[in-house]
Amino acid sequence: MIVPLALFAFFVWVPMGRNFLLSFQNNYFDQEFVGLANFAAIFADKTFLKALGNTFLYILFSILIGYLVPVFLGFLLSEVFHFAGIFRVLLYLPCMISGIAVVFLFSTMYGDSSTDLFNAIAIAMGGESHPWKGSTSLIIPLIVLAMTWRGAGSTALIYLSSFQSVDDSMYEAARMDGASPWQRFIRITAPSLKATLITLFVLQIISVFQVFYEPLVIGPKGGPLDSSMSLLLLSYLYAFEDFEHGRSAAVAMVLVLIIALFTLAYRLLLKVLSGEKIIKRRGKR
Amino acid sequence: MKTRRIFPRLKDKRGGFLNFADYRKASNKVAYGFIVVFLLLFSFVAVFPIVFLFASSMKSVSEITGNTYTFWPQQWDFGKIGALWSRFDFGRYYLNTLVYVAGAVVCAVLFNSLLAYAVAVVKPFGYKVINVLVFLGYMVPTILNIFPLLQEIRAFGFLDPDHQSYLTFLPLWLGFGANAYYYMLFRDYFARLPKSLVEAASMDGASQLRVFTRVVLPLSRPIIGIVAIFAMTASYSDFLLPYCVLQSSNLQTVVVGIYNISNINPPLQMPDFLLLILLSVIPQIVIFLIFQRQIMNVGAGKGSKE
Repeated sequence: MIVPLALFAFFVWVPMGRNFLLSFQNNYFDQEFVGLANFAAIFADKTFLKALGNTFLYILFSILIGYLVPVFLGFLLSEVFHFAGIFRVLLYLPCMISGIAVVFLFSTMYGDSSTDLFNAIAIAMGGESHPWKGSTSLIIPLIVLAMTWRGAGSTALIYLSSFQSVDDSMYEAARMDGASPWQRFIRITAPSLKATLITLFVLQIISVFQVFYEPLVIGPKGGPLDSSMSLLLLSYLYAFEDFEHGRSAAVAMVLVLIIALFTLAYRLLLKVLSGEKIIKRRGKR
Repeated sequence: MKTRRIFPRLKDKRGGFLNFADYRKASNKVAYGFIVVFLLLFSFVAVFPIVFLFASSMKSVSEITGNTYTFWPQQWDFGKIGALWSRFDFGRYYLNTLVYVAGAVVCAVLFNSLLAYAVAVVKPFGYKVINVLVFLGYMVPTILNIFPLLQEIRAFGFLDPDHQSYLTFLPLWLGFGANAYYYMLFRDYFARLPKSLVEAASMDGASQLRVFTRVVLPLSRPIIGIVAIFAMTASYSDFLLPYCVLQSSNLQTVVVGIYNISNINPPLQMPDFLLLILLSVIPQIVIFLIFQRQIMNVGAGKGSKE
């Protein structure tokens, strides 16, 4: 077990600790202590503030566009009686394609020439051509659309298994009592889905913090005008293009802090919810 | 004898939210129609970009400079596959990827299971600390600390441009040996194994390593399969670390190669570039069609419960 521990140390813990120290140093090689100067520098940098704001836009759009689609898909897959296997394969197919291939593919579809797919469709429907990925207001929704296309299938399968885990006899009992499908959905299906819904909500937010290839390729490099810049991408660009290792590490620390806060909030929420259940059960007895 | 119908009747549907009793009502039959229509619609959305990729990549370069857009190519330009393949020596990318994926799968299974076994079964001094530290690694994405990590790898001499053997993959392979998620999958599985088995083997005087290889591993085939599939798909798509480590070598994987080709000057024409993307995607689709059942079980998180 020494070997795997050494691996974790080498690949995870040492770089993490080194990055923490680095956020208070001028750069990787001189290691001169500069206090909070890096943090002051990034908070004075417009690009960083833009990226911080974008992070919340990414979250907002990923919830608007991407959160409910898998739930709906999961329900459809659990209820369909014909060719269920084929539908499942088709819907899961995009998840197999590597992230890089997906972003290149969508990047070409979002192109601004009149013969790029989105414009070709717009023109065929009688509209005008748009600069899709060249538009500062559309770029984040478009990136989220590509992410949703790739991710929805696998999330839908998680919902599928929670839809299927609902006990049939509960539905049967409700039918006997003359409950309408709508009542059944609200009283039986929705409550048994609650835990999955919350978990995946938080996991989705955490995964959105890590958006990286999409703005790198589709933007490209966080463009147009930094309107798709994410914190992770900015941290990378600071280190590898500007050679500002300290600032890169400072951005990383800000991101770690945000992720940690969300994880904590999630754990608290779970505790509160499980506490609620206990109280309810007691009440019934 | 029960025969399975290709096209089953709704009145045979026993379980689920809506069953045969509900489908006696006409309004629910209409609802079922909507379910199927929506699924067809979503399936179309899921498959359409892949069909678009195929159709566009077969166009000849002269076709995209025109002003009118056609979805299917007017002339199928199959000849360019061979030309592009040999221009970029694409077979080499496939071979590199194969070696890369194989090593990643071995490391992912071997090292994570060893650590998980130690923590879940042997429980040495300080195992709880290890657990917390590993969870920290799960929360913080590896890409975030990539700069210090690369400097470490460089310090070990792996970024040397003259170094052109598959040994260059070593740091990347070993990276898969330190994956918090795989570790947690193994740990939860091992924790549920019957304790009596391990105790009986230790009582007979077998060493811990022997217990692990002779008793625990043979019992762990399902979880090994899951982690192997995860590591296979993850390593095939893995980009940033391979991109940084393999930059100056001819050992680039398909995904890294595609990214580098996207930056060449003069740039490739769009249909040609899409063809390369198509080539990079085909192995993944083939693997999926072969292992679809296993992969989708893993995707649903079912495997870890079984």
